[in-house]
Amino acid sequence: MARPDAMRAASYTPEELARYEALVQRYGRHVYNIAYRMTGNEADARDLSQEAFLRVYRALRRVEPGAPLESWLYRIVSNLYIDLLRKRPRHRVESLDVPLETPRGELARELPDVAANPEAIFEREQIDGTIQQALGTLSEELRMVAVLSDVEGFSYEEIATILHVPLGTVKSRLHRARQILQDRLRPYLEARRRGWEA
Amino acid sequence: MLNHHRAEHLLSAYLDGELPPQEAAAVQEHLLDCAGCRETYERLRGTKGLLGQLPLAEPPADLWPVLLEPAAGGPDPGDPGGRPARGRGLRFARIPRPRRWPALLRRPAWAIAAALAVLLLAAVPLVKGTVDRLHATEIGVDLYVREHAIQMSREPLADRAYLDLVATDADLVLVGETSRAGEGGR
Repeated sequence: MARPDAMRAASYTPEELARYEALVQRYGRHVYNIAYRMTGNEADARDLSQEAFLRVYRALRRVEPGAPLESWLYRIVSNLYIDLLRKRPRHRVESLDVPLETPRGELARELPDVAANPEAIFEREQIDGTIQQALGTLSEELRMVAVLSDVEGFSYEEIATILHVPLGTVKSRLHRARQILQDRLRPYLEARRRGWEA
Repeated sequence: MLNHHRAEHLLSAYLDGELPPQEAAAVQEHLLDCAGCRETYERLRGTKGLLGQLPLAEPPADLWPVLLEPAAGGPDPGDPGGRPARGRGLRFARIPRPRRWPALLRRPAWAIAAALAVLLLAAVPLVKGTVDRLHATEIGVDLYVREHAIQMSREPLADRAYLDLVATDADLVLVGETSRAGEGGR
């Protein structure tokens, strides 16, 4: 009986395996970043990344060497993300200014008081956390466009290809996403502006 | 000339440089006249800037071996259902593949028919066996009584007349014999 190693070698050549490893090295961080910004948590981002690369591995021979893989790869990630959402109860969209309901009564959310401590809002981690939180309040359609455009820097055309939607849809979704985000992030935007003016 | 509502809607695309030159020029012209749109434009620009400042989320160090795993000891590429041998299970892999037989169970008529057939196959030998066993018991007792009577006839003090009567009783049935009861030969 052939050893598993020998069987694998017969399926993928060492060059093909090396090519797969190069793809992981090249796109791994961005795949994880997109997955993390979309899901907002490490466990789901890990699962999405792992599944996305497993699909890349299986389709390795169908991918032409040197072909631009980004759109295809990120489409896999966004499709997997949609699959993930379908398998789960619908995410509740939470508004930051609505009190949190707990068994012991309502609890006001602690948002940083910009006026009292303007320096604090420039602390990196806090800003990242708040932006991530604000992204999480968007619907998945808007969030995906916002992440691909403003976090990953893709053009409208690239986003339309990745998400399989018309260019006009990208344009309107992104505008809508930014309108919602600017409301959520208003304290930060004002502080940032004051920082520029100072 | 662009109206306010239309211009506001185009501000994001203008900010991203995604408008055709003519439309971009029209939005620019509107911005010079409209303080409200200038304010909105600044906030959109700030929002885009904040999102762009988000650092690249660094994958946990132990994710890399997992991503490289298919090439290092994972499934055969020809096996679409193949999963890496090691590492924790994927959430996507948690739904087990349906096996063939439950398809039959999904059709109630087939399921009921199959259950009845099984029941029938089990019940027929059971009922027949019980009837045979009862019959055999009856014959067995008769045989024992007759043999015992013959045996007793050899005893010196036995009542031979009574034993003859028992041994030749037509109601006693021997194995393989049909009952002679009611033949009137007694």
